[in-house]
Amino acid sequence: MRTPVYAIIDLNTRTSERYEIEESMYRKYIGGKMLGARLLYDLTPAGIDPLGPDAVVIINTSPANGTGAPCSSRFNMTFKNVLTGGIASSNCGGQFGVLMKRAGYDGIILRGQSDMPCVISIVDKQITITDAGELWGKDTEETQQAFPKIYGKLVIGPAGEHLVRYAAAVSGERVAGRCGAGAVLGAKKIKAIVAYGTQRPQIHNKKKFAKYVSKWVKFLRNHPMTGEALPNYGSAGLVSKANATNALPTHNFKYGHFKDANAVSGETLADTRLLRNSSCISCPIRCERRVSVDGKDVKGPEYETCGFFGPNIDCISMESLLRLNYQCDLLGLDTISLASTLAFAMELKENGVADFDVSFGNSENLTEIVERIAVREGKYSDLANGSKWLSEKYGGKEYAMHSKGLELASYEPRSSVGMGLGYATSNRGGCHLNGGYLALLESVGVLSMNALSTSAKPAFTAFFQNALEAISASGFCLFSAQSFVPAILFKLGPHHRVTRAVGKIATHLGFGVRALLWMLPILRFNTVYLFPHAETLRLITGLPFYTGSFVRLGERGYNMERLYNFREGLTGKDDSLPDRLTKTPQDANNPKTVVRLDQMLPVYYKIRAWDETGAPRKRTLRKLGIKA
Amino acid sequence: MPYFITGDCNGCTACAKQCPVLAIDGTPKERYVINIRRCVSCGVCGRICPKGAVLDGHGSLCRSVPRSQWQKPVVDTKICSACGICVTWCRAEALRISLPSFHGDIHVFAELYEPNKCVSCGLCEENCPVGAIHLSEVRA
Repeated sequence: MRTPVYAIIDLNTRTSERYEIEESMYRKYIGGKMLGARLLYDLTPAGIDPLGPDAVVIINTSPANGTGAPCSSRFNMTFKNVLTGGIASSNCGGQFGVLMKRAGYDGIILRGQSDMPCVISIVDKQITITDAGELWGKDTEETQQAFPKIYGKLVIGPAGEHLVRYAAAVSGERVAGRCGAGAVLGAKKIKAIVAYGTQRPQIHNKKKFAKYVSKWVKFLRNHPMTGEALPNYGSAGLVSKANATNALPTHNFKYGHFKDANAVSGETLADTRLLRNSSCISCPIRCERRVSVDGKDVKGPEYETCGFFGPNIDCISMESLLRLNYQCDLLGLDTISLASTLAFAMELKENGVADFDVSFGNSENLTEIVERIAVREGKYSDLANGSKWLSEKYGGKEYAMHSKGLELASYEPRSSVGMGLGYATSNRGGCHLNGGYLALLESVGVLSMNALSTSAKPAFTAFFQNALEAISASGFCLFSAQSFVPAILFKLGPHHRVTRAVGKIATHLGFGVRALLWMLPILRFNTVYLFPHAETLRLITGLPFYTGSFVRLGERGYNMERLYNFREGLTGKDDSLPDRLTKTPQDANNPKTVVRLDQMLPVYYKIRAWDETGAPRKRTLRKLGIKA
Repeated sequence: MPYFITGDCNGCTACAKQCPVLAIDGTPKERYVINIRRCVSCGVCGRICPKGAVLDGHGSLCRSVPRSQWQKPVVDTKICSACGICVTWCRAEALRISLPSFHGDIHVFAELYEPNKCVSCGLCEENCPVGAIHLSEVRA
């Protein structure tokens, strides 16, 4: 069996060496974020500074990357989270991952710290480190243009250079945004990493794989979600759905409904500004928006950006939203964390606590302020530290919208309490994707589980966290899993009695899902309707992956990440949400519209087989084969 | 098996300009060298070499073929999912994803929009995950 080959790059000495992953570790952790978490756990001591010289950054791919399977161009960055101090895994759909694999390495491990700004190039298995020279200081677009077009690039912008704590790394026009991926590269003084090569990935059973890929692509293209809704409106299409179910954060998560949300919805974007849709490599879903900003054809906004630069700061200008989105890409900033921090600063001003010249409903001066945040100019340097830091300095902890330090995504958890539980328990902080993404079942999808009931939510959250973890670690985009809701329900529509009945039944299926989690070892089947990823992974690697063992794989990864978090000092007490979400009802007349974490967390811990404090039990770890 | 350039090479640069993976390097008017780590055995160098100085993977001499007889990719638009893998492999930039035919059209596919640039390397056909691309003779 061919095991993944990594390269350890030492920036102090500017040397690199080959590092082969052991077979047993490969079988257990496969690749991507899971293998990254294991390696980070093994390679770093506890309590290091994420931006210090001892920090390790792992950029790796997964077995499916570059094979041509649908939605499989995603690579992963794992490092110590700049915002939370726990684990960080940032996923990106740019070309870099595929080309790094073609260049002969499944991943690179960056150690040490360069004293001069540098560029790492990985070409045909040869790694060279050169000085960045004039590239330092340039924006992400200019930096990428300095390299040949066919190269895969991963660069940082001025925000990363100035160690903005939520800076992003950019590959092509796709972004590894969350947790401060740009800041950790900036701290190591890496301006760019480029890769090129022509090696092909190994596929265990080529013939069956090709057949299965065709089948899967056909399925994705015929499914109403991945074949119509996402290509037509992108993820921005969720704005109107979230608004209809009171799940659209408005006025820094104070409300869940914005009366003018239509002005920044995916439908409006598609009608007025969209040039065409586009995609990452190898993706048949094609959810990327192409829009025109100042006459330039650039990448359009995702749902989070629309929600956060729109209703969450009470703005309805599509023009300024598109410009801010493009500007963030150029500067290398995470739009979620940036916009959420800005909304927090706006509320600070509203309450008369601190004044950063930003106010609700005014997006005119934001372009200028974002520019200043990126270079940490004057008082705006405070905004570059994220909302947790701000709330500790200025106060207002009850409305600093973060969990563990990472800002929440654009789903209002009081109208989808399962998502709230996901935010609180997610290993990398307030992340919707690492948190199980229950909003899709509760508020923004066609199915409508009872969004206010806590029943069944812990079980569903645990199940989907595991499943999404495994999908991500095997190299697929999580959107490829959006097709698991049966197509027939989309055709019937959300208000048909069958769809409503399914939603209602799902609300009481907690024990069913718990039983399912318990039965994982015997679920030895694969179907294109549930997790086609498992069958694809089986054909690529030759390892026995079935629906059950695939979800089990995710469970192992989730526990591994949790273990890392606990070693770094996070505890069960950090599984929390701001008071605004847990104590103040969203609808003053309905006391049920709060996230009752105190009810859900004990059940969730029990399902996960963790102890009362939320720490993974020794027995659980032993069962999953994790060595602490 | 990678290709090889023999001593007959006079350094005309024709192959280096056309190589789809930038595997050929050298100084003009001197013998060029193929980077064996990168060569994908597409045969473009052999077809274009005016001196007949390229050996293929089996060691036999490549015959030069007039450009008008090179095969061109044909896309089956019913199967193509516009995933863009072929476009990323095509260094000649002969392929692209078609533009929507009307506002809001999502049924796009790969298309050969600059046939003159195509070097007939076959990387698009080889890497298409759904088998939607085939190289075929172009009728004049």
